[in-house]
Amino acid sequence: MAERTTEQKLTEFEARVARGEKIEPGDWMPDEYRKNLIRMIGQHAHSEIVGQLPEGKWIPYAPGFRRKLTLIAKVQDEAGHGQLLYRAAETLGKSRESMIEELLAGKAKYANVFNYPTPTWADVGIIGWLVDTSAVINQTMLAQSSYGPYARAMKRICYEESFHIKQGYDSVVALAKGTPEQRQMVQDAINRWWFPTLMMSGPPDSLSQHTAQAMKWRIKTKSNEQVRQEFVDHIVPQIRALGLDVPDSDCQFDQQTGHYRYSQPDWEELKRVVNGDGPCNKERLDIRRKAHEEGRWVREALAAQSNKVD
Amino acid sequence: MDRQSHADISRHSKETFVLNLADDELILGHRDSEWTGYAPILEEDIAFSNIAQDEIGHSLVWFSLYQEMTGADPDAMAFKRNWNEFTCCRFVEYPKGDFAYTVVRQYFFDIAEQVKLESLLDSTMESMSQTAERLLKEEAYHRLHSESLLKRLGNATVESARRMQSAVDLAFPQSAGLFEPVETESELIKAGVFKCHDALLNKWLEIVVPSLESVDLQLPVEKRDGKYKPTCTPDFGGRRGSHTAHLKTLVDDLQKVFRMAPEAQW
Amino acid sequence: MDTQWETYEVFHQSKRGDPHEHVGSVHAPDPQMALQLARDQFARRMKCSSLWVVRSKDITATDYQDESFFAQVVDKSYRDPKAFDAPDKLEN
Repeated sequence: MAERTTEQKLTEFEARVARGEKIEPGDWMPDEYRKNLIRMIGQHAHSEIVGQLPEGKWIPYAPGFRRKLTLIAKVQDEAGHGQLLYRAAETLGKSRESMIEELLAGKAKYANVFNYPTPTWADVGIIGWLVDTSAVINQTMLAQSSYGPYARAMKRICYEESFHIKQGYDSVVALAKGTPEQRQMVQDAINRWWFPTLMMSGPPDSLSQHTAQAMKWRIKTKSNEQVRQEFVDHIVPQIRALGLDVPDSDCQFDQQTGHYRYSQPDWEELKRVVNGDGPCNKERLDIRRKAHEEGRWVREALAAQSNKVD
Repeated sequence: MDRQSHADISRHSKETFVLNLADDELILGHRDSEWTGYAPILEEDIAFSNIAQDEIGHSLVWFSLYQEMTGADPDAMAFKRNWNEFTCCRFVEYPKGDFAYTVVRQYFFDIAEQVKLESLLDSTMESMSQTAERLLKEEAYHRLHSESLLKRLGNATVESARRMQSAVDLAFPQSAGLFEPVETESELIKAGVFKCHDALLNKWLEIVVPSLESVDLQLPVEKRDGKYKPTCTPDFGGRRGSHTAHLKTLVDDLQKVFRMAPEAQW
Repeated sequence: MDTQWETYEVFHQSKRGDPHEHVGSVHAPDPQMALQLARDQFARRMKCSSLWVVRSKDITATDYQDESFFAQVVDKSYRDPKAFDAPDKLEN
């Protein structure tokens, strides 16, 4: 078989992607594509793992059997999603050990939204509702990803996230319809989570270096602004229907465009928090590092044992 | 053998019996859930979260039976009672410790639960035997999982053996609380609702001792007249409301949010 | 040595009669643990009657880049039921 040049391979690769076919492990792919995906999938996996902590913190305090069981199941799902995503990244040639080491060394990024604190029970419901809704809009798009293992992982994750949204919404409704203290607690939580959630969709595409390339190779199929707009249009009417509101007086429906106008989040804040200067970055990584260190003897013992028991 | 009719058994005896089981499961389940997000490896984080949900789920099953007997709502029982009204054994109150302590405690508890539930299968009280049959289905997997971890960690490396032995040294006297004799149970035993704790403890020892010894873990027991006899002081008291300070902290946490609006919907 | 353990591929059969389907992989220290960890990761929601786990390195697979492995050039349409135009009835 005649060897194809790199140029020929690239042409074939791009034609395959343009046809909507999936790229599978072992397929030839441009280095940039591989690197981009490892970065994206890795960050996504790290987000799930770090994301266990803001809500997991409330498991001991969950009010009532149903809320407690539901919250354990949700945080368990997040571990499950991390597991699926690390595996997808591993198919591109990067080991889970190295990904975890990078995260714990502070060298890897993860969704910035998980650097914010969760000071009240209402934060749990708001994360489940708002943050997961934003995530699902993004993730439904990622399920169309050209990379097979990532698309497959995303389909499964989207399916489970749809429960999380319902669970979060259910909790928020109970608070919104509850005592004045409960209502205030949930409105405070929205006030604190609104802009961090908007930031989840990523900076305006003019500021993002990765979007253009990602879109060409169908790693992403929508721009950050499109995803953010979709989120706002979907969630604002629901928030207002509960008698709650967003902390943005400029957030109004525009008859002409058929969309909600809204204020942009503070993108300087995003930069600061992403680069480690957020309220909980250090705390959360410290917790993960401690768990990892304390579990080392277990991993080593079970690995050593694998030769004896089979 | 004479069996008292169930009408003769005081309600209090039956209720106490069910409440002890419900509280054990709830408090252990709460401790188990403290590992979600902190387990040694992702896959075990997922697995152990299932155990936590199962134990809390089991407590809900017992609390639901308690509700049939008394009308008391499960959420009210778990989230509004004062900490010194709980009747769990002290064993389940202690902090989760390192993974070795958790594995040993879980194993001891799973075998105890298996032994107790099996003994309830032929209970003369139908609600007990039905509940036991239902819960035993999940218990089989719990036992598989905790035993798998115990047997692998028990003598894998120098460090794991050291930690597991320390865990056993700590947990074994505490585990006696699972079989603490309770006065109100004597009429349940006479009526065939339940079997006596000594018999159950023996069954438990017959499983646990060889299992631990098979991976070189030592237990403070001696064999006398063909039976295992513990030589340590049992950590009793939980059934009589004599708890450790750990339970107060635990229950404070458990109830913190609920108590903000105890009559409201959450 | 601190590792995240080897990977095992997981195959899940929903109900008897269905084929086993590849659903993902788990990191595990040995096959029996792999089965348990697979149950918790892949069967906690989906109804499951059987699970298989296989060490990833024991899977022998074709290479996506070698399309010639599956190449069919010579007309084999005789394999296709549509290739034969047999009448349903014989006319007398």
